[in-house]
Amino acid sequence: MIILQDLKKEYKQEETPTVALRSVTFTINKGEFVSIMGPSGSGKSTLLHILSFLDRPTGGSYKFLGKSIDDMNDAELAHVRNKDMGFVFQAFNLLSRLTVYDNVEIPLLYSDIPPEKRSALITEAVESVGLKEKLHTETGRLSGGQKQRVAIARALVADPNIIFADEPTGNLDSKSGLQVMEILAGLHKKGRTIVLVTHETQTAEFADRIIFIRDGLVESDKPVIKRQGDVKTLK
Amino acid sequence: MLFKDAFKTATRALTHSKTRTALTMLGIIIGIASVIILMAIGQSVQKMILGQVESIGSNLIIISPGAPSGGGFSPPASARGIVITSLQQKDIDALQREPSIKGVAAQVAGQAEAVYGGKNKTVSYQGVTKEFFSVRNMKLSKGRILSISDIDSASRVAVIGPELATALFGTNIDPINKNIRLKNITLRVIGVLDSSGGGIGGDQGNVVIIPISIAQKELLGVSYFNVIMAQADPSYEVSFVKARITSVIRQTHGITDPTKDDFSIQTQQDVLSLLGSITSILTLFLAAIASISLIVGGIGIMNIMLVAVTERTREIGLRKAVGATDKDILQQFLIESILITMIGGLIGIALGGAIVGLIYIVATTFFSVGWVFAFPISAVLLGVGVSTFSGLVFGIYPARQAGRKNPIDALRYE
Repeated sequence: MIILQDLKKEYKQEETPTVALRSVTFTINKGEFVSIMGPSGSGKSTLLHILSFLDRPTGGSYKFLGKSIDDMNDAELAHVRNKDMGFVFQAFNLLSRLTVYDNVEIPLLYSDIPPEKRSALITEAVESVGLKEKLHTETGRLSGGQKQRVAIARALVADPNIIFADEPTGNLDSKSGLQVMEILAGLHKKGRTIVLVTHETQTAEFADRIIFIRDGLVESDKPVIKRQGDVKTLK
Repeated sequence: MLFKDAFKTATRALTHSKTRTALTMLGIIIGIASVIILMAIGQSVQKMILGQVESIGSNLIIISPGAPSGGGFSPPASARGIVITSLQQKDIDALQREPSIKGVAAQVAGQAEAVYGGKNKTVSYQGVTKEFFSVRNMKLSKGRILSISDIDSASRVAVIGPELATALFGTNIDPINKNIRLKNITLRVIGVLDSSGGGIGGDQGNVVIIPISIAQKELLGVSYFNVIMAQADPSYEVSFVKARITSVIRQTHGITDPTKDDFSIQTQQDVLSLLGSITSILTLFLAAIASISLIVGGIGIMNIMLVAVTERTREIGLRKAVGATDKDILQQFLIESILITMIGGLIGIALGGAIVGLIYIVATTFFSVGWVFAFPISAVLLGVGVSTFSGLVFGIYPARQAGRKNPIDALRYE
């Protein structure tokens, strides 16, 4: 699904260029749950932005579902983001003046899905995160955990191939964080590809595989060994 | 993004901050209302002026002494204070023989002080020939007009304007058969003009109309005329009659070279088209002034929309992250600004219409002015068009700013 080959990203700030990614090479297959970890400034967020088509690399190659990012214009990238990708952000990024229903509808506004089919999709997505009774509540009135579940519903609603989650538990208490991670793990079990960026090991271990980034390079890329009967908790 | 969805998104954003939206609209409401009111007033004035001129009769042709200066309707030399004696009795006699002319009247005019008892007023007096009243389509409010015998026998009688009647006699004394003094001549008032009609050729409210021979011989000591008025026979085209008059007068004056004409002719049509274009220019001028407020309102919209774009940076980032293109974002913000100006424009039209109606009621009820109600459809179309256009013009810059935002920077915006 994702093939990175010697990926580079350099920011030109005034005179001196800043290198965020030096050379990143890895592959993510369909149905995988991958965590990207690394310390602050390691380049993990930059990597996620490139993987999710929010930014372009300055070197190397990136192929998503067989198509190179270099061959697509901005409108095509937007189309792929809408059709094949779902996003969960640390800060939720919900429009607090709108209801749960209206927030979850946002990706559908930019899709080819006809308006008459939207209602069923939105209800299904909100139900899947356990917030059916809050469907017509303004998101400004929800708790942090509920907000992040709405954000997951929004990421799911257009039935994307992959979900990118950027520190999804970062703004949540441990209980809400666990709920969110369990929802993501559940989605993965149903065959959804998930790429998670986090700096918390317990959160990262929900994945099957952890890619560790340091100074813009892949330091390690290892599978997570899960023992039978492991009980997941978050600090 | 479907237009329906973009429209819904835009209306939600606008209704979310109702006070701000209403205040933003205010500039456009005032601008459009001003344009509507001023254009309506302009058109009312135009209708009033043209109506007054038309009341004289559309077949009136005015012959003035002196060569026409320049093209179109320009004042003849006589109107610029130059005494020209080219119009004489022989011209009237010749015109009376012309079959395409129904009637010919002539007049001389001057200024003097009219006195009655202890009251006096400076007036314009007009010495007229017997056909003057019918040619000028003048009506009296009381008394009678100058008769043929009054004019032929140079009777010392006068018809006065309504303003002068009020100024000299007040409202309680009937002016009929009272004697007024003009220079050293005593004149008996036999009629008072009606306040409507006869607007051409000066103010008819403050006038004394007397037999021509008295004006020529006793007041002015001249034998020429200031103006000859001919009434075209309705079975002939006015333009044809104008050409005939030109030919007749050239003949009596012995003019063979048209560039040496010592008279000028204006038809009612000339006057109407000139007044029409003057008042149209005036209306446009007023609309142009009013449109300044529209520009100010439009800049207000641009300012508010720029603030909105900044405030909603994260929203823009999110929308772009989940698939909105630059065009989608541009469209959303553009619809918002066009909606503000369009709704503002419609409210402005309604407000303008209400004020125009109020002006009409106040003018006709409290000031007894013959105000003509006009609510030009062109002003309404202009209002809607200009407001929508200003939404587009003043909304495009903020909308482009919104559309161009980088999604990552926008999502990170605090």
